[in-house]
Amino acid sequence: MIRRVLRLTTGRIAFGILAAIAFLAAFGPLLAPYDPLEGTTDILANPSGAHPLGTDYLGRDVLSRLLDGSRVSVLGAVQVALLALVVGVVPGILSVYFGRAFEWVTLRLADTLIALPFLVFAVAVTALLGNGIPQAMFVVGVMVSPLFYRVARAATLSVARSQYVEAAIVAGASVGWVVRRHVWVKVLPPIAVALANTTGVGFVVVSSLTFLGIGVQPPAPTWGGVLAADLGYLSFQPWAPLVPTALIMATVWACNLLADAIRDVTGEAGRALLNTRKLDPGKVTNGSPVAP
Amino acid sequence: MRRALSILAHSVAIFVPVFLVATFVTFALRALSGLSPASLQLGESATPEAIAQIERQWGLDRPFLTQYLDWFGDMVTGDLGKSWYNGADISRLLVEGAAISLSVAGLALLIGVVFGFGFGVLAALRRTTWVDRAITGFMTFISVMPSFVVGIALVGVFAVGLGWFPSAGYSPAERGLGTWLAHITLPAIALSFDTVSDVARQLRAGLVAAYRENYVTGAVVRGLGPRRIFFRHVLRNGVGPALAVLGLKFPNLLGGAVVTEAIFGMAGFGQFAANSAQRGDVPAVQGVLVVSVVLVVVFNLIVNVVLARVAPASARGV
Repeated sequence: MIRRVLRLTTGRIAFGILAAIAFLAAFGPLLAPYDPLEGTTDILANPSGAHPLGTDYLGRDVLSRLLDGSRVSVLGAVQVALLALVVGVVPGILSVYFGRAFEWVTLRLADTLIALPFLVFAVAVTALLGNGIPQAMFVVGVMVSPLFYRVARAATLSVARSQYVEAAIVAGASVGWVVRRHVWVKVLPPIAVALANTTGVGFVVVSSLTFLGIGVQPPAPTWGGVLAADLGYLSFQPWAPLVPTALIMATVWACNLLADAIRDVTGEAGRALLNTRKLDPGKVTNGSPVAP
Repeated sequence: MRRALSILAHSVAIFVPVFLVATFVTFALRALSGLSPASLQLGESATPEAIAQIERQWGLDRPFLTQYLDWFGDMVTGDLGKSWYNGADISRLLVEGAAISLSVAGLALLIGVVFGFGFGVLAALRRTTWVDRAITGFMTFISVMPSFVVGIALVGVFAVGLGWFPSAGYSPAERGLGTWLAHITLPAIALSFDTVSDVARQLRAGLVAAYRENYVTGAVVRGLGPRRIFFRHVLRNGVGPALAVLGLKFPNLLGGAVVTEAIFGMAGFGQFAANSAQRGDVPAVQGVLVVSVVLVVVFNLIVNVVLARVAPASARGV
């Protein structure tokens, strides 16, 4: 599947951007030329040879802060998406097989999570539970999990009603065997699409939270946190938000692009099940249940 | 009329469990967080006896279920309890905050509907031309902009740079509609981008699909005018997904208030939630969450009824 995605131009662009971001997350903290926490007397300096992106209101080097903050920002989004995957997919598949009571309960839970005002809940619950990164990841991950639940459930339903699965059941196959053998293959492509989408969503949410000082508290640097610091000094440095903004938007865009590319190569099955980020004139789709 | 009522009943049946689950989770937050009014009032060095006494005062030594039923009963009658932080009546504090947040969310919704429908219809009418491609590209672009980024950009350009709008604060409508609008315009725009792009894209997709239907071809063949075809045949059948998205967007508009209110320094719902949560003021947080859940549920009921009237086919799914 990866090879087929890479054959598309959009897939290559998305992979390129994401690879660069991953590199920042892996090595960014090592590349930082200054200590991201140490202030100097040289406050709110314009970009120069010594400070390519200038300094902030405490004289800290902005480039170092962005590089150092990249790991938390990126890993946060990935953790959110993976947690949502686990929390959503398993009940999504089981809801088809575990009887009506389980189905009803999980459907109502998914409805509830979708109906909640997302950011308010994320902020409130994270802060109440202790305002740390693990709490934030947990809360956001659970809150975006209904997307995976719905995707996995829809794919499982379509397989469960197909004739070859009925034939397998008639021939004596167990539910576990059917899930491993037939369901899993069908569920995987839409889940890959959803994973790319939720990584983008998780990224926006994590940046929003860090922007508000929730989850990661100042002075620890994050992309959202750097933006928050810029906001107070817009009249001195109106250009300052540009770089963190560009980083955040490029990452989100690459995630969406990747989702589209996976959808394109996995074809109609994935497309019919998901909210399409891309405009597909032939299909009317439902809106995304999760967006910050 | 009877159909509308049955739709309403059906939607209520869906949303009652949602409401019950959401409020239960909200209530359970105190137990999950392990916070107590004692830590707020007495600080770190409190003796166990003093803590126990304060918890007794607040009725926290009773069984969990008794507390829940009590709280639920009070909540239904509009009493959200008192703040641990300053003992103020939470319902009263929330009414003040709600006015701010609902003004911004309402204006954002209006912007989302007007521009979302405008762009969506325009793209569908000029489908496959450069107008369509330009609109589609622009919608994709603004859909990846987080609201705090838009907010900062708006402050930078229109408040700090050009000075057309105040950069922060809120002024109630009673003190003049002009200043009220000036204060909520930028936050509402920042909040609306996501709604504009999603509504426009869903509407375009819905309308373009409707234009391909045989009944539209039939209408063209019968010699009906383009205006009549659009309003009678295409719009009614293609608007469903866009309206459904609108129903899903309202929680985001309300929830996004946390971010925009932080940027624009407004003492609304979101700020109240964030500040209370950071102080550990559990009843205040529970109050905000309950009220926002109620608002979302009510809004979704309205959307479902409208949807059922405009596009009857959608009533089957909900």
